[in-house]
Amino acid sequence: MWVFAGLNLIFLCCAGGLFLFLIFESYPIFKLHGFDFWLGQDWWVGEAYGALPMLYGSTLVTALACLLVLPLALAVAIFISEFLTPTSRRCVKAILELLAGVPGIVYGLLGVSFLSLWIKDVFGLLDGNTLATASCLLAIMILPTVLTLSEDAMRSVPAEYRDNALGLGLSKWQTATAVVLPQALPGIMGAVLLGIGRAMGETIAVMLVVGSLDRIPDPWFNIFSSAQTIPSKLGREAAEAIGEGTHWSALMALGLTLFIMVLLINFIGNRFLKRRSIS
Amino acid sequence: MFRMLLFFLVAIGVIPFPVSADHSPKIEIVGSTTVLPIASRAAERFEKLQKIEKFKSSHRLRILVNAGGSGVGIHSVAKGRSDIGMASREISPSERKRFEGSHLKVHTVAVDAVACVISSEIYEAGIRDLTRQEIRDIYLGKIRNWKEVGGPDRKIVVVDKERHRGTRHVFMNYIFGNPTAKTPGTILVTGSNNEEQTKIAQSDSAIGMLSYAWINDEVRAIGIRDNKSIVNLTRETIRKGNYPIVRNLSFITAGEPNGEVKAFLEYLKSPEGQQLVEESGYIPFT
Repeated sequence: MWVFAGLNLIFLCCAGGLFLFLIFESYPIFKLHGFDFWLGQDWWVGEAYGALPMLYGSTLVTALACLLVLPLALAVAIFISEFLTPTSRRCVKAILELLAGVPGIVYGLLGVSFLSLWIKDVFGLLDGNTLATASCLLAIMILPTVLTLSEDAMRSVPAEYRDNALGLGLSKWQTATAVVLPQALPGIMGAVLLGIGRAMGETIAVMLVVGSLDRIPDPWFNIFSSAQTIPSKLGREAAEAIGEGTHWSALMALGLTLFIMVLLINFIGNRFLKRRSIS
Repeated sequence: MFRMLLFFLVAIGVIPFPVSADHSPKIEIVGSTTVLPIASRAAERFEKLQKIEKFKSSHRLRILVNAGGSGVGIHSVAKGRSDIGMASREISPSERKRFEGSHLKVHTVAVDAVACVISSEIYEAGIRDLTRQEIRDIYLGKIRNWKEVGGPDRKIVVVDKERHRGTRHVFMNYIFGNPTAKTPGTILVTGSNNEEQTKIAQSDSAIGMLSYAWINDEVRAIGIRDNKSIVNLTRETIRKGNYPIVRNLSFITAGEPNGEVKAFLEYLKSPEGQQLVEESGYIPFT
């Protein structure tokens, strides 16, 4: 028991240490620019460090990816959990879990060679490296994770609930949507949060297809223009700045921002769940 | 999130503890993707040469070559994270000042040109040269359609590079007179030569900047027009110094090199090394 407690402590220290390290490293940039760091729109190394385009890019890409993934993941999860026979269910799950482990770079290369060109042709764009491409790619990436975890959540709803519902004369479809789905909601929420975490932190796949332009699209909802996300920015510039200086500090501040964003999303997600379970 | 964590653990862990598990000599080279083909060719041959000379020794020399860009190359050699840095541009005054204590020494091995390149579709539609002013206006976003410079009616996909890249420094220095010029017309930002080459080849209306060795049938170099005279990009015009955007490709050491590093740099400057420069598509430095 103590061993496990110790391991837990190590993990907590890692997370806390990382957070402190980020704050410590990014302190110089906040001292220099204050909170304008988050509001500035220009990022010119050595002159100005404004994180708004990256913040915006990360938020939009992740939100869009979620929007794309959620209906599909839920529909397929219901089908797998409620309508498939156990054997075929196991097969499908095995394949999904395999897909969930494919590294980002593989998706990135597929994105560069196919997805960006398809998006360009389908929408008749000037260029295929856009926010929309990155969102689609992320949606494809996180779909297996979200899907398989949502399905687990639905599967773990006790069989008596289903039997009772069916016994009361509900159809299989009604049982799935009115009984299983609400019961599985916390699990599904958790699955989505994990998906968001992966999407927000994904570096290489996004970097290859997002266009890496540090500018807020014009108009702001134009998802068919290039933009930049926080991890992609870090991926492109970290090696040059590593170790010290204002540039490094600015990059660490971006890392800190991402950290806080993921924390916030998880926090809000948990609050949302708690309120639901109380009511 | 896990990837971020890993990145930071590596970042924190690597700096204070340079790994030296085995004692065989090792040279680490990091930097410009333009210089990389020369370095990797030379590394391969040099390792073999060493093996023949010292075949009884169990300590075989290993040379590791990594990309990253000129800025990364200069930075990592100055900080002692690699033995040799590769740069496709001069060390900038601010870098000189910042790394004063490392006594950076430049060993030039080749001459390269930075081409203004366009997608083959535009090249075939008749654009063969542009003036400096036209390129400047394209990068500033004043010219947005190929029509305005005599091409087809198609919007221009303006491809820029990461700001620390050597190729960008040299190109922008010629076009704007400022290596870190701001380019509001940009549509895409790329990193390595390979990445930029791919993006321009995939597009049918792109303009960008590439090292001479990366030009092919899908990514065509255009001439620079000045009044009525046009300088096209050929081996001859680079060698004679007529083509305006040329640069030296260099290896950088912190202080005077010695031991294996010195031998490797001497090999690069030898006739055999210069032959490798030619094989990589660049002009030998004499």
